[in-house]
Amino acid sequence: MAEATEYVDAGRAVDQATLTFVTGSAPPVARNVTYERILRARSEPHNWLTYYGAYDGQRYSPLEQINTQNVRHLTPAWVFQCGATGLQAGATTYAFEAAPVVVDGVMYVTGWDGWCWALDARTGEELWRYKHAIPFDVSLCCGNVNRGVAVAHGKVFYTTQNAHVIALDATNGKPVWDKAFGDVRAGESATVAPLIVKDLVIVGSSGGEFGVRGHLDAFNFETGEHVWRCYMVPKPGEPGSDTWPKNGEAWARGGANCWITPTYDPELNLLYVGTGNPAPDFDGEVRPGDNLYTDSMVAVDADNGQIRFHYQYNPHDVWDYDSISEHILFEMDGRKAMAHFDKNGYCFILDRTNGQLIRVFPFVDRITWGDIDANGKVTPKVFPDKEGDPVHFWPGPAGGKEWTHAAYSPKTELLYAPVQDIGATATRRRREFKESIPYWGAGVQVDAEDIAGSISAFDPRTGNEVWRWRNHVPMCSSVLATGGDLVFAGEPGGNFNAFNARTGEMLWQFQCGSGHHSSPTTYSVGGKQYIAAPSGWGGWVEGFVPGMLGAPHGAALFVFALPD
Amino acid sequence: MTTTGVEQVLPQLIKQNGATLGRLLANGNAGHAEERADGRMHATVRINVDELVWDPAVLIMPHGGELELELINDDMNTHCALLPSNGDSQFIWLVNHSRGMATLHLDGPGYYWYSSPTGNDEGRGLTGAIVVMGDVPKDARLDRPKQPRP
Repeated sequence: MAEATEYVDAGRAVDQATLTFVTGSAPPVARNVTYERILRARSEPHNWLTYYGAYDGQRYSPLEQINTQNVRHLTPAWVFQCGATGLQAGATTYAFEAAPVVVDGVMYVTGWDGWCWALDARTGEELWRYKHAIPFDVSLCCGNVNRGVAVAHGKVFYTTQNAHVIALDATNGKPVWDKAFGDVRAGESATVAPLIVKDLVIVGSSGGEFGVRGHLDAFNFETGEHVWRCYMVPKPGEPGSDTWPKNGEAWARGGANCWITPTYDPELNLLYVGTGNPAPDFDGEVRPGDNLYTDSMVAVDADNGQIRFHYQYNPHDVWDYDSISEHILFEMDGRKAMAHFDKNGYCFILDRTNGQLIRVFPFVDRITWGDIDANGKVTPKVFPDKEGDPVHFWPGPAGGKEWTHAAYSPKTELLYAPVQDIGATATRRRREFKESIPYWGAGVQVDAEDIAGSISAFDPRTGNEVWRWRNHVPMCSSVLATGGDLVFAGEPGGNFNAFNARTGEMLWQFQCGSGHHSSPTTYSVGGKQYIAAPSGWGGWVEGFVPGMLGAPHGAALFVFALPD
Repeated sequence: MTTTGVEQVLPQLIKQNGATLGRLLANGNAGHAEERADGRMHATVRINVDELVWDPAVLIMPHGGELELELINDDMNTHCALLPSNGDSQFIWLVNHSRGMATLHLDGPGYYWYSSPTGNDEGRGLTGAIVVMGDVPKDARLDRPKQPRP
């Protein structure tokens, strides 16, 4: 072997981004994004300032340049692609699930495996990137995914699959602070898009399939100091602990993760948090009781993380019916209401001042697990209660609607939901708990045939279905509603569709080449409206459409606009 | 059926153009990074002549943090390295008989793959693992009694 001094000097390794056209610099547009601006997000419709577009979770933009008359002319303006490099966690299940956030011409969006990008929202040029290194062996229930960023005070915030929350300098993507808020050795991870409330960054944990104890956390956005943690399963002696077995440690593995961004009412200063399934998912015998606060809407005081009230959608869940889905805040007949489409197939309209039920109605055709009456009384009928005995039920564990979001248009006063009509068979199989090992308590096979889906519009005042656009497979991308009387939604087969918001007539369609399991957003730059749709099939496909496990596996962000 | 280590059953799996075309991944030497007084870690990995394997193939860090990694290409061919690091992956060309350095920031616990992304070096054997031991910070762990592990 030659002496070390004779080696050719290879120098130092460089950032991979230096071997691209990435400039490493974005205009300082995020500097002036304040809590007050996010409060009034809808008053600046050229931006999509926060995960849902506004705190109310409506996923509605007043932009109307693209409308029912001209949407047929919509064409791609640009496409951003990344793809996978090397061996990464969830090598076959990574998916593009984010909601692009846009501030004054700059788009901030996350991908899978620790990617975060700033893009020119007009051209798609990559301005900077941050890539967090994700352990290959991190526990991921449902794929290597991430749902997006929060932007405020010159920083971009996002979570990583190994349960860190990171603040980046919005002008160059350099880290400002980085905090771990979950234990990967316990099976925790993170996929949630953070929410900025006042001076706090709010995030929640993933890992409900591994028998963890779900929690919501708040950090000071400037310093990264941990401000509060709210556990969604009470310890013995705490309020709600009487809904767990007195003896044993079922509570300590109880689940109730908060892996979807909450909505927020600034007047009430309440976060509306949807919580996940109890653990083990299907074996309820080891955790008798209602198992609070699993499968619930939990109203949390944003200042201190204390629980003010709750509404449990699935007491003692044994179907994996997470209630993590959004709570859409809207006014109805002078009342502060909120709407939630639960995995159990029912839509709940609640009074958001106190959590009282206003109305409940089914939104999917086949519901066999049980029923819920007009007063909210839950009657389970079919569930896996006998060891080794297969039980089939609708909806399956992916739900009548999965995490992908519904929308509400204040213009039409209708709710628009992506609906999944798909069942599953669960066979209870008891297993002992071991930290970091999946803790389902059943073998589960989701139907590959006799399935359907739709985009369905509902009147929240009556619960009546106003229109339905039918698909031969479940619909599992978020819906976007606009002031142009349009509703946008992507299909598992790759089509990205525009519908008339009043009639459900399909007005435009574009094949993106890979399925949609993300949250499209809209914005404008220089007076031109754009529609952004991440396309990249993956995640928990065996849960929501197993018949499409072999579908094309892309990873591209399509942005559409009208021709000049 | 009884099972035995790869090396004993079919040693030809862990060499070039033996049983397989390349060398089965992560079946090479393992080595520990050295921790310095300031908590930073240091290690050297080499590419040996005609083996197409990182040596060590499994590099073990005692905990998360900063790793100063020396990369030496003793081979008679050009390779490179794409290494995981918080912020951005680190890339370096390693021409024949060259030596370079990389600074990596890794959280752990867990393990990360790295490789030489030229030709099919990755499939032939030049895919190595960096193992980070330890635990997440105490304040990030769950408030619950100690739980059983596998």
